[in-house]
Formats: sequence, C-alpha cells, structure tokens
Amino acid sequence: MRSGIDACVHCGFCLQSCPTYLTLEDENDSPRGRVLLMRSALEGTLAIDDPSLETHIDRCLGCRACETACPSGVPYGHLLEATRATMAEHRRLPFVARLILWTFARPASLTIAMALSRLLRATRIPVLLSRLKGRLGFAMAMLASTERSGMHGAYVARGDATRGTVAVLLGCVMEGLLGGANRATERTLVVNGYSLVDAPGQRCCGALHAHAGDLRGARELARANIVAFEGADSQFICVNAAGCGAMMKEYAHLLADEPEFAERAARVSARVRDVSELLVAAGPVAGATPVDATVTYDAPCHLLHAQRIADPPIAVLRAIPGLRLVPLAGAEHCCGAAGIYNLVEPDTSNAVLAPKLENIRATGAELVATGNPGCLMQIGAGLRRASIESRAVHPVELLDASYRSTARGAR
Amino acid sequence: MSGVTPSVATESERHPVDAALAARLAAIVGDRRVLFRPGELLAYSSDGLPGYLKQPSIAVFPGTRDEVIAVVRELARAGAPFVPRGAGTGLSGGALADGVVLLGLNRLSRILSIDAENAIAVVEPGVVNVALSRAVSAHGLHYAPDPSSQAACTIGGNVAENAGGPHCLKYGVTLNHVVALTVALPNGEVVTLGNAAGENDGYDLVGAFVGSEGCFGVALDVTVRLARNPQAVRTLLADFHSIDAGARAVSAIIASGLLPAALEMMDAGTIRAVEASIYAAGYPTDAAAVLLVELDGPIAGLDADVATVVRHCRDAGARDVRVARDEAERTKLWQGRKKAFGAMGRISSHLVVQDAVVPRTKLPQMLARVHDIAERYRVTVCNVFHAGDGNLHPNIGYDANDPDESARVHAAMREIMQACVDAGGTITGEHGVGIDKLPYMGAIFSEESLSAMCALREVFDPDRRANPGKVVPMHSCREWQMAPAARTGQH
Repeated sequence: MRSGIDACVHCGFCLQSCPTYLTLEDENDSPRGRVLLMRSALEGTLAIDDPSLETHIDRCLGCRACETACPSGVPYGHLLEATRATMAEHRRLPFVARLILWTFARPASLTIAMALSRLLRATRIPVLLSRLKGRLGFAMAMLASTERSGMHGAYVARGDATRGTVAVLLGCVMEGLLGGANRATERTLVVNGYSLVDAPGQRCCGALHAHAGDLRGARELARANIVAFEGADSQFICVNAAGCGAMMKEYAHLLADEPEFAERAARVSARVRDVSELLVAAGPVAGATPVDATVTYDAPCHLLHAQRIADPPIAVLRAIPGLRLVPLAGAEHCCGAAGIYNLVEPDTSNAVLAPKLENIRATGAELVATGNPGCLMQIGAGLRRASIESRAVHPVELLDASYRSTARGAR
Repeated sequence: MSGVTPSVATESERHPVDAALAARLAAIVGDRRVLFRPGELLAYSSDGLPGYLKQPSIAVFPGTRDEVIAVVRELARAGAPFVPRGAGTGLSGGALADGVVLLGLNRLSRILSIDAENAIAVVEPGVVNVALSRAVSAHGLHYAPDPSSQAACTIGGNVAENAGGPHCLKYGVTLNHVVALTVALPNGEVVTLGNAAGENDGYDLVGAFVGSEGCFGVALDVTVRLARNPQAVRTLLADFHSIDAGARAVSAIIASGLLPAALEMMDAGTIRAVEASIYAAGYPTDAAAVLLVELDGPIAGLDADVATVVRHCRDAGARDVRVARDEAERTKLWQGRKKAFGAMGRISSHLVVQDAVVPRTKLPQMLARVHDIAERYRVTVCNVFHAGDGNLHPNIGYDANDPDESARVHAAMREIMQACVDAGGTITGEHGVGIDKLPYMGAIFSEESLSAMCALREVFDPDRRANPGKVVPMHSCREWQMAPAARTGQH
C-alpha cells in the first residue's frame, strides 16, 4: 500500500476523470484527495474512524477512471479496497449492504432472492412503483428494467468449434434477472467457433464483497470459483459482466498471500476473458439479420478502466448489419451504479447518473448497449424514471438478435 | 509524495478555526461549501508541487460570481488573509494556504460566451483549460496556451501564473491571450481591466494582473482570445544518442529562422517513466534524448519546413526522425510529453520539480552543466523541457526519508538554478514564484526591484491579504512588519 500511495505526485491529472469530483466539486471526493486521506490514515495522522475519511471513502464509486488518467500508475482500486477493508474492521456496513453481501455469498439464499425478484417482476408491480421517489422507487425501476421484450428467441446455434473451449461465469444478477443475456452469450460464442463447457459449483465472483471491504467474503467466493473453474478445465473463462470479469482477473492479487491458492488463482485469472474479447478474437462472425436500431455504447468502468478494454464491444456492435452506432458523450464516465453503491449512496449515485441520462437523450438512440448488469439496471432504471424512450441492452444481445432468425451456423 | 515539511498539524497544534468567520462564510455559500475539519482540509493542503503540506484554516467554495464577491467582502471585513485556488495543479506552491483561508474557484466553471467571429470567449475562472478548447473546436478554434496540466488546470490558475505550455513557443503565453478581466480586488471592489477589443486604453493593467499569482485579487471572469486551428500540422519525433546532440539540433532549428509551433525535449529518464505509464507514446527507450517538434500553418510550404527540421536533426546526429502518420499518433506523442511530470512518480518516492530559463543558444552548455552538477552531488536528474524557449524542467527523484540524499538534492537544485541565472537566464519560465522560488528572487532582483514589486502589490491589495507570503520575499517589503492583517497569516 505504501508504495502505491507514494507513486502519487498529486499532479491533479485525475480530477477531471473522477465522476464524484465532477459532481460534488470537492477535492475530498477526488482521487487525489482520497489518496491524501488514505495516506494520513496509513500514517496515523487521521483516525481510521474519522468522519472525513468515512464520508469520502464511502462516496467513492470505485470506477477506477482515475487509473486510466494517472501517469504515475497509482493502483487506486487496490488502495481503495485495502482502505475499505481496514475501515470494515472498525465499523459495520449499512444494513442494506450487509443484507446484499450476505445473500450473494450463499447459493441457496441467492437462488431464493432471485426467484422472488423474478416473481415480483412478473406481477408488474415494479413497473407501477418505478416512479416512486427515493430508494424503493429506484430499486423497483431497476427490477422493471431487467424485463426483456421480444429480443430473445431461441435458435440452435452452430459453429465449427475450432476456437477452443469456454466455461461461462453465469453470475448472480446476470443469471437471476438477465438470463437472456447469458443465453445470448452462449449462442454467440458457439456461432463464433467456441465450444461450451459447464463449470458446476461456480458462485458469485465476490466483487461486491471486495469493493465493500469484505475481503474475507470475497476470498471465500474466489476460492470456490477457482475450484469450480479448475474442474471445468476449459481454455477460457468467459465473463459477460464487466465487474465480475475485473474481479476474476484480480483473483491472483486477492489471493496473493495464500500459498495454497496464489498460483492457482493466477492460472484461473489468466484464462478469464470478457465476452467481447472472445468474440473479437473470432471476428466476430457478421450477423445475417439486420437490426434496425440506433444504438449508443456506454463503457462499463470495470471494462474500460479496470480491464482496459475499449474497442472490442464496439467491434461487436459493428458486426451487426443495419445497426446505426452513434457516439455517446461522456461514455467513459461512470453511470453511478458501482455495484451496490446506488443503494447505499443514492443521492450521489443519482447525481452521477443525471448527466449520463442527458447525454443519452441527446443521442436519440433507442438502445444503450453496455456490458455489465449493474450498469444495465442503473441506466435502465434511470431511463425509465426520466421517461427517455430508450432501453439498456447487453451488446451480445444485439449480436445474438442478428444471428437469430437465420439460425445460421458458422462460415 | 509526503512532504519535506512532513506531517500535517493536528487540531490542537493549529490555530483555532475562526468559527464565527466560518459561519458567516457558510451563510453565503452553504454549509457544505465551507470546510474546516482537519480531515477535510487535507485535500487542500497541497497543490501540484511535491514536498509541501500547508493546511488552510478554512476552505470556502463559492458557486457563483455573486458568492465570490460576497466571500471576498466578508474576508475583507474580517481582515482575513486568503489564498485563491483553481484546480491545485500549480508547481510553485502558489495555492498553498498556510493557516489562512483558502478560496476555491473551481466551481465557477461556466463558459459565459463564445464569439466565434471575433474569436473571443468569456469564461469563469474555474473553466478547465482543455474544456474551453473543446467547447470552441466546432468553430475551428482553440485556446492556444496549453500547459501540460491542461486536462485539469483552470483558466483562472493560468491567469494567476501566466501559464505557458509547449505551443507557447509560437503562440505566446497566457498574457498574450487575455484581453480583459473582471476582478474582485481583495477589498471587495469589483473592477474591469482591459477591454474585449484587446487594445490598451491607458496603463496595461491586464499585463499587471496576469501572472500576479493571486496577490492582486480574484478574477471573476476572463475574456480570452481564441486561435484559429492551423490548416495543417506535422509532428516529428527525433531521437538522439546524446543530450548534447539533441540540444545542438534545437539550436540549429532556431537558428535556421523556422518558428516551430512547439519544440520539446525529453531525456532518457523521462522517456522511460513515460513509456512505463498508461501514456506510453512509443518513444525509443534506448535513446539518450528525443525531440518532439511540431510545425503548423498553411499546407503550402509546410513539408519543406519538415524537410528542414529533419535535415537539422540528422546533421546533429539524430538516429531516427519520424513524422506522425495521423492524428491518433500525434495525440499519442503529445500525451506522452504532457503527462511526463505525473509519470515521475514512478521513479522514486519523492520529487523536486524545477523550472528555469536559459538563453536557448546556451542550451547545450547548460545541459552539460546540469549533468556535471548532478554527477557531483550523486543525484539523478530527469530533464523534460520546452527546448525552443530554453525553458528547462530538471526534476530530481529521491527519498525524503534519507536526510543525506535530501540535502544533496536540494544543494544540487540550488546550484542548477544559480547556473541558469549565471548563464543569463532566470528562475522561472512558467510555474511562477509561489513559495518554492522565493529563495531565488534575491538572485535575480535587487532589493530596490523587490521593493518596487511590493509597491505595485500595494496598489491592488494595500492590506496584503491576498496570497500572503508568496512571490516577493517578505523582508523586501519595508512596511511588511506594519501590516498586522498580513502578519496573522504567517506562522
């Protein structure tokens, strides 16, 4: 941690990349300011339970946009996780956060929670409540936004299976509420020449836990996933959720101090690819059915800033005939979802989301493509509540739609 | 980087916050916009200059012009010294507030008007430099002064420091692009300096205000000239096996009569830091130095100029000279240069940045001197600088926890600065004096000159409450001891 902090020369080049600084206009809510807070806590000149530290560290989205702005290579994400872990030793997280982390850490409770959510969604009650002010209304709008309308239709995907084997991380929210995107992921991978392998025993990736400072919970989940994906023995591990992909690529860092797992974690991390990386490595195979839609792309922070993947999702969208891709101003800025941030820091989250929604409105796009469940639900909910005629979709859902009607095989 | 002045004072050691003043300021700007808890002042206890931590007593952040005026008047009533701050990217410590009020202007970030036909814009002081260029790009215009921190620094800060940048070689510094200002004087009076036509009507007060480092008042709005984008641009990267060869190429290019838009040099240490960063530009890591040369203007004749530059570089012994193929490569080459200072954090835990100017014909000798001094004190200097202007930025990385090394670094720096002065140069090219260069002011100015500066300052700020203790060494101001308001700001 010390050397990471020392790398900061407080040049300030990170300021304009930071969504909370741009929104709140206080350097305590900027990367440079937070690094100074972390330094003081580390050196003991600021108490670990000082309200200034808590307020401003809690308010960080963890989007890591500062990392792709920092000339000095300050490992901000790691510093934040370590600081939050130290803070967690001295205080309890908010109830909402503890409830979510508890649920996601247990397969049975997660299954029940997701089933109940789907049930609630089917009643259409979330649609009715999605305009309510405050946290409940926003949560309902998030749930309502996960409903898929007619984009998916199963087809038998065929490919030549020459590109290697892939095990897909199904994820929690992705499989629970956005299963259509998972099926689209599987089909598009097959069409692009990959063959699928199951990875039974896989769990939540642990990203939510790690970001909240619950490193013990995150490590437990990471170990379970390492065992599961070792068992799958596939060439690649495909992740279609940017946050989960970033986490799995960092298992090596997370478990660096555990002799039994360090090397195994590094081997698993090395196999992890975002779905867009795998598709682009294979072309991707161009779609046959035109998708007549104006689409804009919003980069998930954990894809662009954490995994540094910028172009592949755009290449995926460009492989779709008929699709009109329009640029989104500020696409590199966070939408304010940030895992469970939108539920524990709703005010700042909404303030960060507001310019995103205005920029989307300005594009006139019918669809916003983004490859992360948190962003899909945050933007989806925001669009719904702001009455913007646009929906959020995963890029592979659009590619899948262009593969669908012909039920074509590969080349 | 932690400081040469290491720890932040704890609450008990510090002067008690003037709670009444904080409350009155909060009544103007809102509770959220007044900070006085030590934890929240940390973020404002340094600017871009490594090595200092100075904690303000109160930090206040007005959001509108009226709030700024009200805050300045309130501070005047209270007799409270204050330090204006933009984005805190300055490299001379100009925005450090040592136990006094810090007045943040970052929230005044609106572009008030753009007159594309006359190539004029009126902006608030907190507008980020690059945001202005972006906002006017649709008109084929840009704001020419482009300090390396342009992605973060503010126009107000640029005005205070009379900021430069790579392209100031051809286009001039901030002063050449500011035509008028509305200013809140430290006593709260609002005055207009200059006019939108950019003509002198009487004394050049804009010239006096630009570069006054926050000592003459607070800009409420700034009227700037915009530059037309050139018809064509060519960016070249030349690499050399020795710094001396690069410096000779610079002299030859300047002597040929060409005026490049920019002429920048980086040495091996800088190149390696940049290439290890996210801004890796493809600079050859085995080169002793690279020159980044930009030529712009009408397309006719431009390639002949390119050929001239290439010839001078080759004659000086360049290993390779390449021209950026497209805008993407050009951007990359520039990003590497502009983020070079930030990338220095990779080299060591602590850093001294310096800013000095020598006549550009003396560049080869001066660089040799710097090399000798560094060797003698056993320190490693990384050079990154505006070669075309003779504006050096020698940076030395070190470990501040090693007292012997720290002493050698600071001794080396003093000697480098003295060498620049001896060569007919000066102690700052664009970073300003702030507090970092105060000790060197005596090396270039007589007591009479410094005293005259104090007299000028007194015209704008008779109480000397604006940015106290900066620019002119205190002892030079004879009346300083008699100004109690200013003295309360000094601990």
